[in-house]
Parts: sequence; C-alpha cells; structure tokens
Amino acid sequence: MARKDFKPQFDSSILRSRLKLKQLQSEQKLARQYPRAAEFLKSHNLLGAGRIREHATKLLTSGALAGSLLLAMPQIGILSRPPENLSVQHPLLTTAQILQIKLAEILPPKVGPLTAEQETRISHLLFEFFGIKAVSQLGSTRLNNVYGLIGAEQHLPRFSGDTLAQHDEYRKAGIAPGLGSWGYFAPSKAQMTRDDYLKEKYYVAVQTLYLPDWKIRLKFLVDWYKHRKVVVINPQNGKAIVAVVGDAGPARWTGKHFGGSPEVMAYLGLNVGWQKGPVILYFVDDPDGKVPLGPLEYNLEKEPPKLAQVE
Amino acid sequence: MNRIFYDHLIQSEEIVAELDGDELEIEEKQELLAIMDETFHQEILKLILDHLPVEQHETFLTRFYQEPYSEKLLDFLKGFASDIEEKIQQQAQEIKKELLAEIRRSRKAK
Repeated sequence: MARKDFKPQFDSSILRSRLKLKQLQSEQKLARQYPRAAEFLKSHNLLGAGRIREHATKLLTSGALAGSLLLAMPQIGILSRPPENLSVQHPLLTTAQILQIKLAEILPPKVGPLTAEQETRISHLLFEFFGIKAVSQLGSTRLNNVYGLIGAEQHLPRFSGDTLAQHDEYRKAGIAPGLGSWGYFAPSKAQMTRDDYLKEKYYVAVQTLYLPDWKIRLKFLVDWYKHRKVVVINPQNGKAIVAVVGDAGPARWTGKHFGGSPEVMAYLGLNVGWQKGPVILYFVDDPDGKVPLGPLEYNLEKEPPKLAQVE
Repeated sequence: MNRIFYDHLIQSEEIVAELDGDELEIEEKQELLAIMDETFHQEILKLILDHLPVEQHETFLTRFYQEPYSEKLLDFLKGFASDIEEKIQQQAQEIKKELLAEIRRSRKAK
C-alpha cells in the first residue's frame, strides 16, 4: 500500500492489534455471558467487524427505504470488512495475547466438541508458537473432551508422610486426603527426584473413568495415562502450561472436565473466583522427554514467532 | 436516519477526529473504524441483554435481525428498561474513552 510522503504518527498495525484484541475480548464476554445469543448472532452472520452494518445495509437497499438512507452516513458506519485474519507484525503484544487472538478465531463461543479441522489448526498453532507437537489424539487414544472446563484441585501427596507444609507454594489449596489415581510420585522423600517434584507441581486430572474404552483396555490405558504429558491452554488469556496426568477426575456431576494442580491453575489465571474456566487440553507428543514441565514461555524449535510467521 | 437503531446514542465523532489527525490510508482507517464499530456493537448488545429478561432475548434478537435500523426496537427495550437510552449512552461513552486511550497509547508507542 502506498504511503504518503511523511511519516505517520503511529504504526497502524500496532493500533489494529490492540483494537482487535479489545474487540475479541468484547466478543468473548458476550459469548460467555449469553452463549445462546452469541450463537444466534453468529448463525445469522451478525458477529464480526462490519457484519451488522452489512446486514442492515442489505435490508435497507433491498427495500423501499433505499436511496436517501444511503446518504445518511453514520459516524462510523459504511466501513469495509477487515480481513478474516489478523495479519499484523509488532512487538507490543505478548505471545499469550497473540495466541489468545488466534484461538478466538478458531474456537466456538462456548466449550464443547471441536471439529477435526479446529483441532488440527490448534495443533499447528501450538507448534508455531512453542515448537511442540501437541495433539488431541495420540495414536488410538483421546479424551472425551479437549475443550472443556477445568477446576481447581488440591496438592497431592508425593510420598508416604508428605504433608501440606512440605509443599512450597499455594498451601491455601490444601492437600488431598488420599493418593492420586497413580499413587505416590516417589517411593520416599529421600528418593524424590526433581522430576517427581515437578510432576506433582504441574499435574492435571482427566476423566479417564468415562472413556468409552476404559474398561476394555484398562491395563493399557492405566499405564498409558500415568504421568502422560499434556499441554493446557487458557484461551481467555493465551497462557499455556505443560503438565502431566496425575489424577483421575473430576466427577461428571461437577460439570467440569479437567482438574488442575494449584500451580497449574495459578499460572493459567484460574485460581480466582470460582476457580474454574475453559481450557484446551492436548497430549504432548514427546517420546524423548524434551519438553519441560511448567509454563510455556519459549519456543522449543526457534525464537518466539512474530505474528506474521504464524499466519 | 442511521443504520442501527442505537447509532444516534453513540457520539463517535471524537474517534474519527482522532484518526483524522494521522496520515493513514483510507483503507487502514476504515478497517480500524470497523473493528471499533464492532466493539461498540458487542458491548451495547451485551448491555441490552443485561437489561432484558432472558425470555425476551430471542424476541429482541429476532426483531433486531429483521430490522436493525428500526426505532421501534428502542420502544420495545424501554418497555423493560425505561432508561435504556441513557444506559446505552453511558456505555458508549465508556467504550469511547477506552478506544481513544488505545489510539493515543499506540501513538505514544511509536
């Protein structure tokens, strides 16, 4: 696009990103509070920049009102629709904010099943952003939900005799009275490795009990899920964390689909209010154990990508 | 007459003026305005739904879909919230402040 001779006072791509983020946040707020209304608007093609006005214009121009009304320009009406994809390049948005924007373009307005295409697009995003291979289905194994609600869990006993006081953070969350579904993380306190320590710190609970093949392939699945590496993403803030499956649950009646350790919930920004929220949970395909547990704030393969690279 | 029934309650000249001060291509300006316009819509629709009984949501949305420009929609809303015009104006004012702040912050960032 040809620029005028003198330098603009600001880079419009920066502003566009900020405005787009704000608009997506408004859209998410509307969808969260009024999912049925959001679905109605979406199904009638009324969500998205310029669409309401486009629709109104069509109605007006197709009816008897056409003509004079076209001259009555609203202050900020008659605007072209922006491209579907946000294609901006600037350093001011964090990786999490950019991921949030990208995910909002893919996800449905409320938690629920994803299409194969949506699942694949998310896998691509996670590779582009973090350099990790994360999938909704690994081999023949998949969870019943990949986009669901996560709730807060307590600390888990890591070894016989473990107490809440021995956990270094988020003690207010308490410690579970029993063991996680896969028992202790270490045979004893003396034998606890850093790996064991991190597994309890960053664990999730998944609903293995409700898997359709749980009873049929019980032995295989119990081993397969034990400390299986997963990535959990909060689409409302774009934060992502790598964890392991450390427990089974929560019960279906809770309305939640996953549980998160106090550290996982805190990093995702979900340890406030009702201590639950929507997340995406994918398996990390990491046979060589290269992906470390904990917050994903790096790219395993390269430098953090700029937005233009992840289009 | 405006395109959307609540347009007259959104005083957005300041936003347009704020962008007018910068040497943006017309397409860029239109795109930015469209994104901001959508933010106004979403926030105002949410405000409207906040003030309507849930059982009236579908009726409102259907009527809005059929005649988004109709002034009768405001009359319909006033039946449930007599001060809805004032509420929309206040909300629009808030959004405008936030959007202007974003524009000004972006300019400073350069």
